[in-house]
Parts: sequence; C-alpha cells; structure tokens
Amino acid sequence: MSYNTLRFSEVTVGDKLPAEDIAITSSLISCGALATRDFEPCHHVPKVAQEMGLPDVFMNILTSQALMARFVTDWSGPEAVMKALKVKLGAPNVPGMLMTVTGEVADKDDSQQVITVKVLGENNIWGMHMEGSVSIQLP
Amino acid sequence: MSICDKSAIVGIANTEFSKNSGRSELQLAAEAVRDALKDAGLSPADVDGMTTFTLDNTDEIELARAVGIGDLTFYSRVPHGGGAATGLVHQAVMAVASGMAECVVCYRALNGRSGHRYSSGVSGPLLTADAIHWGWYTPYGLMTPASWVAMYSQRYMHLTTDCQDAMFEIAQAQRDYAVRNPAAFFYEQPFSREDYDQAKKIVSPLKLLDCCQESDGGSAVIITTAERARDLRHTPVAIKGVGQAAAANMESMTSFYRPEIAAIPSMDIAAREAYQQSGLSAADIDAAVIYDAFTPIVLWQLESWGFCEPYTAPQFVLDGAFRPDGRLPTNTHGGQLSEAYIHGVNGVVEAAKLVRGDSVNQPAKTVDHVLVTSGVGVPTGGALLGKL
Amino acid sequence: MTPEQRQAFEEGLYQFVGRSLHPEPKRSYDTVNGAMIRQWAEVMGDRNPAYTDADWAASSARGHLIAPPAMLYVWNQEGYAVASTGRPGDGLADLVAYFDSHGFTGSLGTNVDQEYFAEAKLGDAIYEDAVIEEISEQKSTARGLGYFLQTLAKFRNQDGELIGTQRFRVFKFIPPEVPAQEKPESATELELPTRIQAPRGQDNAWWWDACDEGRVLIQRCKSCQTLRHPPRPMCGECQSTEWDSIESSLDGEIYSFVEMHYPKFPGYQYPLIVAVISLAEGTRLVANVVGIDSAEVRIGLKVKGRVEQVDEKTMLPQFYPVDAAEVSA
Repeated sequence: MSYNTLRFSEVTVGDKLPAEDIAITSSLISCGALATRDFEPCHHVPKVAQEMGLPDVFMNILTSQALMARFVTDWSGPEAVMKALKVKLGAPNVPGMLMTVTGEVADKDDSQQVITVKVLGENNIWGMHMEGSVSIQLP
Repeated sequence: MSICDKSAIVGIANTEFSKNSGRSELQLAAEAVRDALKDAGLSPADVDGMTTFTLDNTDEIELARAVGIGDLTFYSRVPHGGGAATGLVHQAVMAVASGMAECVVCYRALNGRSGHRYSSGVSGPLLTADAIHWGWYTPYGLMTPASWVAMYSQRYMHLTTDCQDAMFEIAQAQRDYAVRNPAAFFYEQPFSREDYDQAKKIVSPLKLLDCCQESDGGSAVIITTAERARDLRHTPVAIKGVGQAAAANMESMTSFYRPEIAAIPSMDIAAREAYQQSGLSAADIDAAVIYDAFTPIVLWQLESWGFCEPYTAPQFVLDGAFRPDGRLPTNTHGGQLSEAYIHGVNGVVEAAKLVRGDSVNQPAKTVDHVLVTSGVGVPTGGALLGKL
Repeated sequence: MTPEQRQAFEEGLYQFVGRSLHPEPKRSYDTVNGAMIRQWAEVMGDRNPAYTDADWAASSARGHLIAPPAMLYVWNQEGYAVASTGRPGDGLADLVAYFDSHGFTGSLGTNVDQEYFAEAKLGDAIYEDAVIEEISEQKSTARGLGYFLQTLAKFRNQDGELIGTQRFRVFKFIPPEVPAQEKPESATELELPTRIQAPRGQDNAWWWDACDEGRVLIQRCKSCQTLRHPPRPMCGECQSTEWDSIESSLDGEIYSFVEMHYPKFPGYQYPLIVAVISLAEGTRLVANVVGIDSAEVRIGLKVKGRVEQVDEKTMLPQFYPVDAAEVSA
C-alpha cells in the first residue's frame, strides 16, 4: 500500500475506488475467525456449517468488516482516521468463491473533513455478501 | 344483445395494504369478500358465483368454505396476470347477464411482498410452451416485468416527445393522490422531481418511481343483476361495457415482433368492444383508473381508449389531465404505483367508488362514467362503469 | 403459534428490551497488543503502517501505533470457550435461549454498525458495556418468520473515554424444514453460476443446438417460404407444418433496447444490454449488445452479431456496433 494519504480536497463525490478481487479460501475463513477471536465452530468445522445448510465453513462477520475497512484505507492511506463502519450482510462467503469489492465516494462532510465511501462486496456464486459504508476523516 | 346495464357492482372492499400482512392469502381473500358482501348488504348465502386470477393461490371452494358461501353454479379463472383485472368483471357480467349466476364474487389476494415477489424473475423446470417462450429471453438477462416493459418504453420514448416528463407527471400526480389517501401505502409521503430523477435505476429507461410496489392485500367486488342491485344499499355501479382481447401476434409480455411495438393492439380491441357495448365514447368518460404497473404503460392506454391520438399521450398528461381538476382525473387512489399493487383489482374498487361519489379524492365535477383497465403487455381488457 | 401463544411469547420477549448483557462493564482479557494486531493484519492482508510499523507510526501525525478500528469488538470476544466448554452465559444468551425454546432457532447477523470516537492505543484496556436495545415486531422475511434484535455495545478505555460503539442486528427466526437430500454435501458442488439455460423441447431444441455450434438459424416455411422467429411448429400464414431454416448473416440494427440494473442475477455480466435486433433477413431477434458503452446504444444503430461462449455452459449471439466488429474482426 501507499504510505501517502489522500487529502480531503483531492476527493470528489463519485470517485471510484480501485476494485479488488478477494479469493475466499478455507484458510482465510478459519484464520480470519481466529484472528478476530471468533471461535464459533461454524467458521472452522465444515461439518457444523453443513448442519446449518451451507456447503462448507463460512466467513465470520468480523472478517468481512475487516476486509471492508482495509479496502478503504488501502486507498486512502494511513493517516485517515476511521469514524464509522456500517455493514449490511448478505449471502455467505464460502471457500472457492471470489468476492469482488467495489466502492465509490458517496458523501463529503466539509465541516468535519469526513468522507463516506459506499462499499459493495459481491461473491461470484450468490451475489451480495456485504454492502455498507466506511467514513474516514482525511487531512 | 349488449351486456350494457344488465349487471352492477354492488359491493366493494379492500383489506389494508402492507409489505407484510402477517396472515395467509386465504385469510386476506376471505376478509375482502366478507367486507364486500357487508358493503353490499348481502350475505354469503346470496353468492352463487366466484371468479379470480389463474395466478391467485386461493382456491375458490376453500374461500367459499371460509366465508360461508354455499352452493356455486359458476366459477372461473382468468389468465395472464394483471391482464385479468377487469377480466373478472368480464366473467361476472357474462355469468349474470346470461343467467348462469345471480351474484358473483370477484376476488384477488396476494402476499406480493412478503410471499412470492414478481420482481424475482421467471425461470422454471417445466418444459411447457410457456417455459420455451421465456427461454428466448432469460439467457440474455431479460427476465423481470420491468425488463419487458422497458423494451416497449424505449421504443415509445423514441417515437414521442417529452415522454420522460410525462412519466414523472404520472408518478407524481398519483403520489399526490396517495398522499391524501389514508389507505395508501405512500400516504403523506410526497416526492419531488429530484427524488424521481435520483431514484435507483431498475431497467433503463425505468427508474424506481416508474415501477409499482409489491404489496400484501386483498380486494373483492360483488356483481349482481341490475334488478337486484336497485334494492341494495349503495348506488349501483352499472357495467356499461367490458372488453377483453388478445391481439394477433401476441406473446406474454414480449410481443416484440409486431410491426410497431410502441402500442398495445389488445387494448385497442378491448376499447372498441367496450365502447360498442356501451354506446359511449372517450368524450363521455369523466375519470379513470388505468393499470399502472409502470408509468409508460399508462400512456399507451390513453391512446387505445381514444383520449388522444397515437404518440401524443405525453402532451395529454402534461396538460394536467390526471389532476383533480383535469380532463381525466386518473388513479385517484394513488394507483398501484402509490396505493398498492393488488393486480388492478383495487383499481376496480376505486372505479366503483368514483361512480358512487365515494373516492377519498372524489373530483369536484360530476362523474358519470369511469374507465378501469387491466394490465397490458399480456392479453388485456377494460370496463366502463356508470350509474344504472 | 395460536394468537394467544404469540401474545404470551411476545409479552415475555419484550421484557428483554433494555437488559444489560453483563452485570458490569466487561474488561478485555488482554490489553490492546501488538501480537494480536499483527495476526489480524496478516490474515486480513492489511499492511497499514499505522497498525504495525512502529517507526513509521512514531513519525506520523499520531506519533504512535493504533489498533485497527475494525478490531473494536475483537478485544472482548469470548475466545476458545465458545468451541469447547460452550459460550459463557450473559444477558444475550438468556434471550437466545428464550427464542430457541419457542422454535426461533435460526440466527442470522444482518447488520453491524460501528462508530469510532477515539483510536485505541497499545496498552489500552477495553471495557464493554452492552444492552439489548431493540426487538422488532414480528417480521416475515425470505428466511422465515421471526424478530430482529439489536444490541448496543459501548467500548471505553481504562480512563473511561468512549472509544466506539457497535450496533449489532440479528434476525432470530423459525428455520424452514430443509429436506436432507437438498443440503449440499461439500463445497466441491459449488459451481460458477451461468446464465439461465433456455429449456429445449421439440419446437426449439434445433435452434439452440445450432447456436451451440455457432450458428443462428431462422425458421422458414417450406410451403410459402415465410421466415419466422421465435420458432413455432406451424406457419401462421399457410398452416403448413413443413419447415426448414436459413442461417442468419447476423447483420442488423437495434429496434429497441434496455439496460438491466436491478435486481442483478448471478451468472450475468454487467453492464448488461438487451436489445430487439431487426435482422437483415427481416425477422427480429432478442440478444445482447456488447462492446459498446451503455450511453452510446441507440435505436437504429447498425450492429453485427456473432455467436460467442459467454460462460462455461452458454453459447449466445452477441451483437457489436458495426465499427467495433470491423476493428476486431
């Protein structure tokens, strides 16, 4: 990632973020769950997930949140201060899928120097996995 | 013989409209029928005929048992989705005028939002002629009602001027009626041109506010003989004429192979039939309920029913025709865009109210004759209502 | 549930609103630390130096490392007990048990909204104070019948400073019965979605079979030579059931078109333009228009088609604007 940070003045409503494809693997799901201290068996034991009607372990919410946050700060740079992260969850992410994340600047609050980026993560099997917004304060 | 004035609407009712009725479609239908009978001052025992959509999930005999309706001598169903709206009137009128039944219940109830949603698209495992028909379109992505209507709309916009403005005017005029209709889903929720322009794209050229809602609810209408109607509680609403038609070269929603697709020949025929039966013409019609699954389809119907010349409906609408003091106050309940989508049968209820003088947005002028139409793109129809 | 049962259930249910999850603010098991942050950053692929590069952080506007804000809830998670001895009881567990005992065993997180008021630093202890904020009225969704419940957690540091809040919304529902054989056995059954396949029957299979081989045919009446599309078993002009076909040149122009936006269907590529094409032979064909910016598509545009493989299973005619077709030919 770039160590440069976008300036508030450089950003325009409607700016699109570079899209990113994230391969959903068993490792990402299980290790993501553990890195967020989420030890629910459905995120690391396939059989438990299957009993819930899913083909395999599925991504936990805190990993989805993390990926959405990173998608925006990768673009903004490290001096951005995160103010809000709002995630609506859709279809599960399961190993073997590819999630495409896209984003667009939806709002600029001049008084706080805060921009809000709308983010959408769609997997190639079931469609919308996560959609929401990330608000960051820029210098 | 003409069916004009042989029968009349004597009872009408809607359930409440919502996005989640919390009860079965059978219950919605039963409530609507019960309330329509009560409105008429009739009892379930008076009913001997029933008619609904082929798409309706509630079996007529189940409904009859639920409501306490007794022996039936007439029952029928009308195909083609919203194209059946006034088709129910058509069936009831034929049954009553021919003596096959004396008192016919027309009903439609659906959990169109909380249950099966039509916007979710078509596909199915059965190898029927209908499935093969959809197979010419679904692989390319054309699979929702909005997508089919948008194809006609693009063509119509190409051949007319100011069509986009007229689509907005239709949507907003109807919303303004709904704002004053406590039963409407969008009661007290107006929108602006900016809201309309900024709304989510559904299938270009259609945006969100060009599209009707998906609703839960039920509507029912009771039709009986003119003689009997005179003795009942309300001003009888006579059926002056009712037409139904499937014009040549028809496909369900995808009649893309006619010489010109920016027109609806099925409705032209239905209009001709209804005008002939009634002896009325467009000049006699004071108000209308025009099927409005999407804004552009309202325009084409105005041309079919002779309110204006082909490809001039945008100008007719932009002259304020649909407004309370306009030439043709239309969809005074808010329509399916803004009251509720009960497949046009809430429109038949509203048309009857307009003749009775009971609409929540009753125009100031005298309303002698009201047009109500069915969904288009499919085989369709329309009815002319008036005082007995 | 009878109306009486539902009323009794809901009376009990709404008693939970306002209850705290913990008798007093629950302290994180560990203070904010570099090891957990590094692990998180590695898995998430987050190379933000504000989290892991101490030298950079020292020279940044902040002057120190911070915890990733999205880790807000991580510090107070229960940990391995959840997988071994079972999730320790709290106010939420009581509510979940109440739901489960009435058949609302399904559970689906629907929304997580976090707001941040300060950035957590290494060494901070995080105190979580959470309540059941809201339980909705009964809702019927595609998942089933149930209730949305929302918790509000506030996270403070050791100085009582509010670091952030989290609203977590969960749908508790009665899951529909899934027949055992319909459950997918393993992820290997996951296939990339394709376009919906046209069903093939006696009257149309020949057309699609030719399409699979790269040709678009137009049905022709053997008796009166009238072309017709889509295919039908009888000629509407002369009622003959004898027919053959000609191959289309796929020269045409756009008669009408739409652009699909919503809903989006799995297996379709967007932007997605569908058009009615007037073919040079005189019949019309519905097909996609590609290789052109959506804003450039118009009625009357000359197009040239070719049959292409659009996904693993599907061959379809795709039409290009005539200029582009010449360029790429």
